[in-house]
Amino acid sequence: MSEKYAEISKAVVEGEDVQAAKLVEDALAEGLPPLDILNQGVVAGINKTGELWTANQYFLPDVILSADAFKAAMVPLEPRLKASQGDQLVRKFVIGVVQGDMHDLGKSLVCAMLASAGFEVIDLGIDVPKEKFIEAVKQYKPAILGLGAYMSTTMLEMKDVIAELKKQGLRDGLKVMVGGVPTSQEFADEVGADAWGKDAMLAMQKALELVGGKNG
Amino acid sequence: MANPTLEMLHGMLYSKGIHIGHPSGLARVVGAMTGGTMDVVPFGGAQIHDHAMTVARVPARLYYWNAELLVDTHLAVNRWYDFDMDTVLADAYNFEVEAMGGKMIYSDNAMPTVDVSHPLIKEPADLDKIGPLDVSKGRIPMAIEVGQLFIKKAPGPFAGGFFCSHWSLICQAMGYPMAVRVLKRDKGFATALFDWANERVLYPYMQALARAGVKNATGADAWACFPDLTPELVEEWVVPYALKLRQQCRKELKMTASAGGGACDYCEEDPAKFDKAMMFKCWDVALKTFPVKLALTAMGRNQDWDMTWLQDYALQRGKGGHKLPIMASLNGRFMRDSTPEQIIAKIAEWIEILGREGGLVTGIGNVPADTPPVNIHTAVKATRILGKYPIAADLSKIKIEPLTFQPFDEWLKGQPEEKTILKAREWKPEKKKVLA
Repeated sequence: MSEKYAEISKAVVEGEDVQAAKLVEDALAEGLPPLDILNQGVVAGINKTGELWTANQYFLPDVILSADAFKAAMVPLEPRLKASQGDQLVRKFVIGVVQGDMHDLGKSLVCAMLASAGFEVIDLGIDVPKEKFIEAVKQYKPAILGLGAYMSTTMLEMKDVIAELKKQGLRDGLKVMVGGVPTSQEFADEVGADAWGKDAMLAMQKALELVGGKNG
Repeated sequence: MANPTLEMLHGMLYSKGIHIGHPSGLARVVGAMTGGTMDVVPFGGAQIHDHAMTVARVPARLYYWNAELLVDTHLAVNRWYDFDMDTVLADAYNFEVEAMGGKMIYSDNAMPTVDVSHPLIKEPADLDKIGPLDVSKGRIPMAIEVGQLFIKKAPGPFAGGFFCSHWSLICQAMGYPMAVRVLKRDKGFATALFDWANERVLYPYMQALARAGVKNATGADAWACFPDLTPELVEEWVVPYALKLRQQCRKELKMTASAGGGACDYCEEDPAKFDKAMMFKCWDVALKTFPVKLALTAMGRNQDWDMTWLQDYALQRGKGGHKLPIMASLNGRFMRDSTPEQIIAKIAEWIEILGREGGLVTGIGNVPADTPPVNIHTAVKATRILGKYPIAADLSKIKIEPLTFQPFDEWLKGQPEEKTILKAREWKPEKKKVLA
């Protein structure tokens, strides 16, 4: 049984998306518990990728392929997980790239890492206007709102989104994270964000810290 | 002097110890880039288009479409900051893909950007449907005019056109993740993509530049920097195609096209992961792709680097007992987020380590739009004072007083670019629709 989980983990680490999805389907067909497949196979794999990234043994192309495999593995797994979770609390993370900006790469990696940490990720996509962020916060009531940008001009939109959250009384109880190439801790402080995610791995760690160290 | 050839010659002679007259900015940069010692460490300037637009308060929807406004704004802001070298660069990653029908996002306050969620290329068959590049489409004519105006208004070896290098062009056409998948998994398609970029996009563009008299062009390639690509992938793909384009252009168009330069940029963000051996591998790429031999930093988190590594590299790779010239650009976010005191301290540190024996040009990697101008003025002033040759024995004893400077609008009065910039400020979207 642990061999099957190790195979899934290996497929995720090596970025073999088709293989990862097939192995998960096989494991489900064999009747293995979805939560074990998730934790001991898929998440173990993406965590190993994170370790390799931190150790300078994996670089961005490797992480991209691994995140692809993670996403592919989650496709057959997610419906089964949702069915087994029932009413269990899962914290929501609404994320999007601010208006005028289309940089999807960092956000996609963050989404994969957040999903691996157990967040329900609501991805609003790219070029997201302020009003859509506000609407999503009202609709989904997330624990955390994540704002991304890759241009020094568009990142200024983040200030407006946070100001609007305050204006509409939505800021209390909501954590806000910012990230993207031109951002920094100083910028996060300046716009009144609760955390800055320097890269996808650190963004996930910060998100977990913001919700008290664990999720679900 | 206002004759770039004479200025360059002056710089080369001055750097060899023949001190006649006061070197111009161009002379300083050329002298330092040949490895010599000038009167001061030159401040080479920056990729500054977003910031220049913000300082000059001109509308994005005009600035990124009007060659004269873009060039004049750059030249004015460069001069206001007293840079030793002009850089004129628009949103260099977008022009080719935009002209070939890529979906774009245009906004009131930011540069145009390709919407890679609707990629131009998804599969090999798409390559037959698009291209060759029609140089009359999109903003390509504007890009060519930018090159012409830059050469006309600020002539010299650094004036010229810009383009998007092969790998970044592929990323713009299909999105980085998809491009990476192809690179790692489908060598045939990857080869077809690089061939397409070279033969059907960039070479036609270079032909158009050459026909317009723009005989020097530099290719942006941030998508090839580390860790977006590893040095191994850069060696396998980026360098060969950069050299191919360079040779084609030199032989057939008698022009210089420098592609793939961004691949030498070490952009690891986490100081805990800084790796000297990897940095050396990255910097080695510049020795192959740049027209001159240099050790350089650009957009990486170099404010946290141990700069003795860069000095070691320049010493090791230099020949005949001379170190390689170093072009050290301050990180743009560091420039935005730091206090003037922090900037002065960083420049003192860099000059102490890298600049004592000459061969150093400083600058800024990519200036964020909202960078406080006082920070940039401070960087230039600090470089001029701390970088005065011979470098003081103890830089910590040199005090730099808080800076006062003339606001841009006051300074602009009577400048050659005043009319163009003020006219642009009057532009309203409803008066004349430019695009989008």
